[in-house]
Parts: sequence; C-alpha cells; structure tokens
Amino acid sequence: MLTRRALEIAFAGATALFGAVVAWGATEYGVGWSPSGPDPGTFPFYIGLMVALASLANMAIAAGARQPAGRPFMTGDQARRIAGFVGPILIFVVLSLLLGLYVATALYIGAVMLVQGRYPLWHALLVAVGLPLALYLLLEKGFRVPLLKGPLEALIGL
Amino acid sequence: MENLGALLHGFTVAVSPYHIGLMVVGVLLGILVGVLPGLGAPNGVSLLLPLTFTMDPVAAIILLTSMYWGALFGGSTTSILFNIPGEPSSVATTFDGYPLAQKGRATEALSFAFLSAGFGALCGVIVITLLSGWVQKFALKFSSPEFFAVYFLAFASFVGLGGAPVLKTIVSIGIGFALAAVGMDSVSGSLRLTFGLDQLISGVSFLVAVIGLFGIGELILTIEEGLHLKGIDARVRVRDVFRAMAEMPRHLATLLRSALVGIWMGITPGGPTAASFMSYGLGKRFSKFRANYGKGEPDGIIAPETADHSAGTAAMLPMLALGIPGSATAAVMLGGLMIWGLNPGPMLFVERPDFVWGLIASMYLGNVLAVVLVLSTVPLFASILRIPFAIIGPAIVVICFIGAYTVGSRPFDLWLALLFGVLGYLFKKLDYPIAPLILAMVIGDKAEDAFRQSLIMSKGSMTIFWANPLVATLMALAVTLLVWPLLMRLWRLLRPAG
Repeated sequence: MLTRRALEIAFAGATALFGAVVAWGATEYGVGWSPSGPDPGTFPFYIGLMVALASLANMAIAAGARQPAGRPFMTGDQARRIAGFVGPILIFVVLSLLLGLYVATALYIGAVMLVQGRYPLWHALLVAVGLPLALYLLLEKGFRVPLLKGPLEALIGL
Repeated sequence: MENLGALLHGFTVAVSPYHIGLMVVGVLLGILVGVLPGLGAPNGVSLLLPLTFTMDPVAAIILLTSMYWGALFGGSTTSILFNIPGEPSSVATTFDGYPLAQKGRATEALSFAFLSAGFGALCGVIVITLLSGWVQKFALKFSSPEFFAVYFLAFASFVGLGGAPVLKTIVSIGIGFALAAVGMDSVSGSLRLTFGLDQLISGVSFLVAVIGLFGIGELILTIEEGLHLKGIDARVRVRDVFRAMAEMPRHLATLLRSALVGIWMGITPGGPTAASFMSYGLGKRFSKFRANYGKGEPDGIIAPETADHSAGTAAMLPMLALGIPGSATAAVMLGGLMIWGLNPGPMLFVERPDFVWGLIASMYLGNVLAVVLVLSTVPLFASILRIPFAIIGPAIVVICFIGAYTVGSRPFDLWLALLFGVLGYLFKKLDYPIAPLILAMVIGDKAEDAFRQSLIMSKGSMTIFWANPLVATLMALAVTLLVWPLLMRLWRLLRPAG
C-alpha cells in the first residue's frame, strides 16, 4: 500500500528532477553576464537550482519524519473512485483530439451517465445531445469562439 | 477629495444598463461556480476570461469582478447549507455556519454571512478609494529595482505568512517561475526551455494551469472524499433576514476587527483564505461571544465572512496600483488586464482613469447587488447541488477542458489541463500551496524583467537593491518576512530554555 511518506518522497523527487531539468535546460542560453546584461538563462538557472535544493530538503524532511508506520495515502475504496473518475477523463481527452470536443463531450457524458450513474438510456441521450448543443450555441453563435472540431462536423458542414 | 471626484466620475462610467446587466450576469455566474464543487473563483474567472478578449476592458473587468464577488458569496452558501466549502476561503464559515443551520436557523446563518460579507467588501472598497491616489503617487517613484523589490515582497509574504510549509511554498513559487520562463524571452527574444517541443514555443498559459490545478484537481479531491449532501431546508424566510439585520450591530467589534484583518491580508498577498482563518482565530480569542464559537454562534460566521470579503476586495488595490495580485483570482484578472492591452501599475491610473475608477465604482454597486441577488437565489442554487454527481461532475469536467481549449485554441492545452489537474490534486494532498505558483506564473516575466533591468542599470551589482531608502525598506521588509518562520521556530526553541 502506498503510504503518505512514500508519496511525499516520490513527489519531492519529481520536483527535484523538474528543477534539475530546468537548470540544465537554462545552461543552453548562457547563465553568466554578457555586455547586454544577464544572459537569458541566468534567471531560470537559479530558479531551477532553488527548486531542486528545496525539493531535496523536502525529501529529507519526509524521509526523517516519524510517522505511524504504513499509514496509507488513500484507501482502496478512494483509489477506485479516483480511477473511475480520472480514467474516463483520459479517454475524453483522447476522443476530443480525434473527434473534436463536441462529439467527445456527448460520448463522455452519455457513457458516464449510463455506466456510472445507471440512468435510463433516454435520460442519458437527452443530456449527451443537449449539453454539446447548448455549448455550441453559446460559444460559436453567442461569443464566436470556435472549438476543436472533428470529422463529424466536417461531414455535416459546420 | 480628488479621489471622491474621480469616484463620482467612475460612477458615471459604471452606471449604464449594459454594465449593470453584466454585473447581474457576472454575480449569478459567480454564485454558480462558487456553489458547484470543483469550480471556484480563480478558475471561474479563468474560464470566462477567453470570452472577454474582444470586449471593452471596462465591461470585461466589471463582468469578471462581479463573478468574483458572486463566487465568494456562493462559496459561503454551500458551507452553511451543506457543510461543503465551495471555496477554500469559506472553510472557516463551516465552523459555525453549518451548526447554526442545523438548528433550523439556516436563513439567519445565511443572512449573517451575506450581510457581514457585504460589510467587509464595502470596507475593502472604501480603503481602495481612499488609498489608491496615495499608492499611485508612491508607485510613480518606482523604477526597476523597486518593482523587483515589491515582487520579491509579494513572494516573501507567501513564504512568511502563507501558513503552508516553507520549503513547499518555495518549490511552488519556483515551479511557477520556471513555467513562466518557457517560450519566448521578452528581453532577448530567444526561445527558452522548450526542449525542442514545438508545443512549448508559445509558452504555458497560466489560465490552463489555473483550470487544471483548481478545477480538475479540486474535482478529483471531491471524488476521493465522496460527496455527501446532507440537505438542510433552504427556503429563505424574509422575517429571519430582518432579524439577522437587527442583530448585526451587536457584533460591531467583530465586524471592524475582521474587516481590518481582511484588508491587511488582502493588500499584503496573504489572500482571503488566510484572512478568514486568522479572523476566526482572533474572534475565538477576543470576541465577547467566544464561549459559543463552534456551536453555531453568529459571531463565528461574521468573523471569517467579513475578513474573506474585505480581503477579496482589498486585493484589487495592489493589483491595480502595483501590478501585484493579492489573491489567486486577482492574479488571473491581472493576466486578463495584460491580455486586454492594459499595463497594470501606477501608470494605469494616469493613462486609463475611466477604467480604474469605473472598476472601483462598479465594486460598490456589484457588492450591494450581490447581497440582494444571493439572498433571493439561495433556493435555486441549493437545488443545483442536489443534481446527482454523475451528471454535474462530467459536465464540470467538460466545461474545464473547453475553457482550457478556448484560451489559445491549442489541442496540446487539453493534455496540459489534465496534467495540471493531477498536479493540483497532489499539491492539495501533500500540502503544497497552489496560489504562489499561479502568482509566479502571472508575474514571473515581469519580475524577471525588473531583476534583469536592475542589474543592467547597476552593471551587475546587487547593491542596487539597497541603493535608496525606498527600495532598501521594501527589501528589508521582504527579507524579514522570508526569515519570519525561522525566527518563530528559534523563539519557540529558546523559550522553554530561557
């Protein structure tokens, strides 16, 4: 079971890595002084260094903290709930990139209502068609903000 | 007196049917995002911002600020009726608001919250009205080193006063600065930290970050905790509203104390959340009603609510006058100002007095309007919360991702929003503060430019940050705040020995 302490250490490791990558990436643009002032990489370099050092300290604090051993970070029940929520979002993002935001919205809302909400089919259909339609009218007609579209919109000439 | 004249001019700008219509829409949308789990003031404003790109700046800022006031009110509604804080800053309202509502006095609890919130907001606006002329004169003396010192002070106060673990706050600020540096460098024009990825050339938008960190992250937390709505009768009884009004004067001491705390925390970037907790803590210690705190004491609702709203409004002062936002939502609006082509800072008062004073005047109107609207719509918004999560949850997810896409019409931003969502969840779980990251993303470039220009002025010598009394005072204040947690710890260590 994943403990809070393990997650603290792992997350601090990730932020330390992020800081190191930023500092390393900044060296490409010079981190010293040139006739026109500080080089473009100077500021990000020290920021990256600061993040890396503070993260290492966080890691040390988390590793040294006295905690009741094995306190779980989340219960199995919570993990299942989160997976059941984030999983569909991931599919929604992939679908949005393939089919456009409107179609993906309809599929995502409809599927979640049917499978997780156990709604009757006509109920799910109503919301799954109604919401994208309302969004289309509000955004494209009302505010003239175009959203990502896919093959279906191209087919019906929108 | 010149401020008063300017304010009157501001009212002539703000009072038009179009602007008042926008206030109503903004407040209602704000209450909606405040009530819905996962959506709050910062990402509500982020979602709406792309729709204002083509609007006139005065109309746009009125819409966004009204949404902010509405969201602050909406957050208190759910705190009191359902024991679910709609906003982080209304957590302290649950301590006494929910118990009072459970006693069957929900209308009174809501009235206390809204009336004291309105009082706090008005105190905040009055302070802005009185101080902005002075702050502006003060800020006109600023050049690059002073600006950097003020930015530094803003971040130092997050470290010193924010209440989150110091090192985690520093990591959060650093990540924000690093993300702000991605893309085109505004001084040299070179591309930085893109690691060869085309998608990173245009940088990482702070709006997408806000939508992910606050919106998606908050939703994942809500899911994890499991959403339990224990509904309370949400009908508003007019008689109870008047009873609460009649009782308000008895709490004058708490009102004034809390407004002061809020204004202070709003101007120094402590933010509304810290202000409400601090005010509740002070009330628990000094109020004459302190014995009943935690058991449904009206005074315990008034203390956090007044501070919350006075901090929310007061946070607009440093944003307008110095270009430093006092809260996460103000940071988003500051970004909006820059997108609309305005240059926040002292020159804004000189160049666009109609904008600044129109906004300040709209804050008086918007808050009064918000109190009336929120009281009359409580039953409606409470019923929205009874819509099952299987519908409302995915709908909020969709709105967040669509919001992220409208920022720049970049498909890549959908992935970024998801990434920031997971990051936001981890930040919350592990006690990393999110607001400093947002602040660093918004003013990161400006802070860096000020730093670099200062060093160019001084030919690389850091002494420029101590060169005159003004900048030296600001730096000294910042350094004090930075080491404040360390000093407190030392003091605690030494006290038992001494």
